[in-house]
Amino acid sequence: MKRREFVKSVSRLAGLTVSTRVLGFYPPNRLTGYLLVPMDDTQSDHLKAYGLAYRVVHEGVKAEWLLNYQGGAFLLPDGDAIRREAALNGVRAEPVDGGRVTSIRGEIEANNMDAVPLEKAPKVAVYAPPNAAPWDDAVTMALQYAGIPFTKIWDPEVLSGGLRDFDWLHLHHEDFTGQYSKFFLIYSGMPWLADMVQHNADTARRLGFATVPDLKKAVARGIRDYVANGGFLFAMCTATETIDLALAAHGVDIAATFADGTPIDPQADSKLDWSQAFAFTGGKLEPNPLVATFSDIDGHQVNAGPRRQPLGAFKLFNFSAKIDPVPTMLVQSHRQVIPDFYGLTTSFMRTRLKPGVTILADEEGAPWVKYIHGDLGKGTWTFFGGHDPEDPQHQIGDPPTDLSLHPHSPGYRLILNNVLFPAAKKRELKT
Amino acid sequence: MLALATTPAFGQAIGQGFELERGGRTAEAAAAYLATLRADPANLPALLGLERVLPALGRLPELLPFVQRARERVPENGLLRSLELRVYAGMNEPDSLTAAARRWAAAMPRSEAPYREWALALADRREFDDARQVLLLGRRSLGGGATALAIELAELEQRVENWEAAAREWGHAATAAPELLPNAASQLAETPAPQRARVTAALTSTDASPRSQRLAAELLLGWGQAAEGWRLFEQSLVGAPSSETATALRRFADLAAQLGTPAGHRVRGLALARWADLVPSPLAERARAEGVRELLEGGDRVAARAALERLAGDSLAPPDAKSMAEAALIEVLIADGGGQLDAAERRLGSSILGGEDESRLRLALARARVARGELDRAALLLRDDSSVAALAERGWIALYRGDLRGATDAFRAAGPYAGERAAATDRTAMLALVQQIRADTLPDLGAALLTLARGDSAGAVSTLRQVAGRLAPDGGRSDVLLLAGQVAARIGGLQDSTAARLFEQVARAGGSGAAAPAAELEWARLLVRQGRAAEAIQRLEHLILSYPGSAFVPEARRELDRARGAVPRS
Repeated sequence: MKRREFVKSVSRLAGLTVSTRVLGFYPPNRLTGYLLVPMDDTQSDHLKAYGLAYRVVHEGVKAEWLLNYQGGAFLLPDGDAIRREAALNGVRAEPVDGGRVTSIRGEIEANNMDAVPLEKAPKVAVYAPPNAAPWDDAVTMALQYAGIPFTKIWDPEVLSGGLRDFDWLHLHHEDFTGQYSKFFLIYSGMPWLADMVQHNADTARRLGFATVPDLKKAVARGIRDYVANGGFLFAMCTATETIDLALAAHGVDIAATFADGTPIDPQADSKLDWSQAFAFTGGKLEPNPLVATFSDIDGHQVNAGPRRQPLGAFKLFNFSAKIDPVPTMLVQSHRQVIPDFYGLTTSFMRTRLKPGVTILADEEGAPWVKYIHGDLGKGTWTFFGGHDPEDPQHQIGDPPTDLSLHPHSPGYRLILNNVLFPAAKKRELKT
Repeated sequence: MLALATTPAFGQAIGQGFELERGGRTAEAAAAYLATLRADPANLPALLGLERVLPALGRLPELLPFVQRARERVPENGLLRSLELRVYAGMNEPDSLTAAARRWAAAMPRSEAPYREWALALADRREFDDARQVLLLGRRSLGGGATALAIELAELEQRVENWEAAAREWGHAATAAPELLPNAASQLAETPAPQRARVTAALTSTDASPRSQRLAAELLLGWGQAAEGWRLFEQSLVGAPSSETATALRRFADLAAQLGTPAGHRVRGLALARWADLVPSPLAERARAEGVRELLEGGDRVAARAALERLAGDSLAPPDAKSMAEAALIEVLIADGGGQLDAAERRLGSSILGGEDESRLRLALARARVARGELDRAALLLRDDSSVAALAERGWIALYRGDLRGATDAFRAAGPYAGERAAATDRTAMLALVQQIRADTLPDLGAALLTLARGDSAGAVSTLRQVAGRLAPDGGRSDVLLLAGQVAARIGGLQDSTAARLFEQVARAGGSGAAAPAAELEWARLLVRQGRAAEAIQRLEHLILSYPGSAFVPEARRELDRARGAVPRS
């Protein structure tokens, strides 16, 4: 997709017009000053600050991400257009002169901090069905609130190689096992479910797949190839666990009869090939079609009656900014301990993680972790358990989260760290 | 000694059977049950256990000889007879099933059980037509008329989604036994919307009993058709009052309470009024009082007034019920307005109320007088009231008279605690407006605001604009124009363009006061409402960038997010 077309498409989606002419972000010929966007408790809107940084970089202007400095501050070139953007969005941005910048750099050099140049705004895609409600996905909400443009894609685009146009992909909480989040029997008769089933069945038929589970397995493999070829993948909730199940289940029937007309292979657990998965290994499937959980990878088992675990809080790890800039970027926050929140997949059992997976956040003393990251081929992936950081008990039909009421949400910050980190200059990444 | 020795052994074997069955070891459980039957051929729990486990093992036919032997030993045992029918049904032997059922019916000619179990066995095989024929045969054979086996027929018809026939049978069942009415109503409540009219018609046919009509009334109530439900219910109240009538009325009133709609409140009030006629004092007066409250809540002031006048004049009524009635009656008269205000004032003057009730009513009456422009009479009503609520109301009266200083003093004295939060906000907004005007009195402004208070919004827009024209640019002109714009925007329609012009005028005038940013915010909201989001965004951006210190900026940012589609509309 040409850049102009891209800008046009995202402006239609996000209701934003982002163009160089309008914003005039280019700094004056000779840089005379900077704007420091603090990301500690003095920031007035943390989430929109990411949007500001993204748009500055999107316009070809270089910025810096000051890891671990004032909660992960951004250093932007000073300019009227950027000041205007900051003011309109309620983002605190302090003018700083060259002397102050020198002093900041000295402080960064002497501490567990680093300055990462942000050079190229990633092209963002959100994998979501065409009929998905725009407010039913935390990442979509965060992107819209922050003003970061994105394009919605679905199965046809993935299977036709459309992912190559994008740098960053988020998976809406899709069930890649093709079992409609196992709501088929529990919510039988509900219009939204009928709609979901219809859309998926039609797409499978149109794309030449016998069943929806077959389609989703093919899509999962397409996404895996995208990452292996250098893409950045971010997934939350069900998508984390089910994409790995779908990848491991190539050639194995792991879908209940309602989804594909045949029962689960009784030997499925032993036939799963975890070498194909991103993050997990050794998971055991949940065979009961009436229990809306997928396997024993999820620690909290929110819909499994007596197996359901209560919510606690998760703690972000502290990495060495100069040695491990990638995980450091992913955990930039003004809060180190964050209240947990449920999703169909809430957390990941430590015993089910592959060796080499980086744990970004966990619940101390619990057998599960919350936030993980890893590499695959030339690309990277990040999995974040849970559905909505500001709606811990999220139920189907709950009103949408209004992020203007949560501008400092540390959980949503983690999502936006992921959006911005592919903008970091490649040679600076050491992991 | 032998019996004492063997009984624990039976118990042990069957207990083991239950445990094995619970653990999913069905073959071993079957063996344990069979062992029990060899020692005790009529052991019902063992037979029922085999009925559960043998089908899964594909060995159901093994059960038949045991059942037959047990039935021969205890021929009068209905459970064994019905088990025999189910075994034949499970073995797919319809002729044997029919023969066994007929034998049972012949052995117990006055019992419904053989036909019920026979029909159930057939229905479980999804042979619904045959099941219906069996139940109708039973009804004829038993000679009990339409009420025999009515529940079974109703459930069968419901199972095949023949709701109209199910309703007819439930009507028969409830006619025979009124205690079945709640269950019947609960079952028929599930009727799909397109079939509801036929269900109620079936229950209210010309030969329908009052109980059947009540069933229909309850269904209509549950489906939200409160008025129609009450009409049917009232028709069912024929003949001499009885305890059943009273119970039914109370139940109807309680069910109506669950609706929470004005119509629900109204019919609850009507039902309570009728119930009060059937119960002794003081229960009756309290029910009447509660009924009046419900009627008022339901907006039926005519019925409420009639009930209130009766209650207020009832010498037998307890004092609390009488006071409540008196207060409610005055409230009704005030709400009716017009000529009724004099009646309300007379009644209030001679009432026995006193205390908080009287103050509250006096205040309500004063407000009603203000709404009619009768400022002097309103002031007179509040003359002796030193409460903060009365003080606030006196502030409004002063304002409407054009006495800006008096209004300011009264509003300040009333503070933020009089009345609801919205009322306090209104007073604060008016204080802010008055403070911009450099005059102690301004009768034209008072008259314009009174026009607004009396509900003539369009007239108020016009008079406020005229008043503003006579004020200095830095002497409240923008604030009055802003108010006129807000009123015009609230009216909407053709007044939207007036509102937009007024907001634009105030915004362009600028200044250091709050009027300009407030006008921009209101203008942007108006533009959003008109679907002109891009223009709204311009206005909001201008507001945020031009008045960064304004208290309206956070609201403007939120509106900006909305206009851009970045936050959900919830």
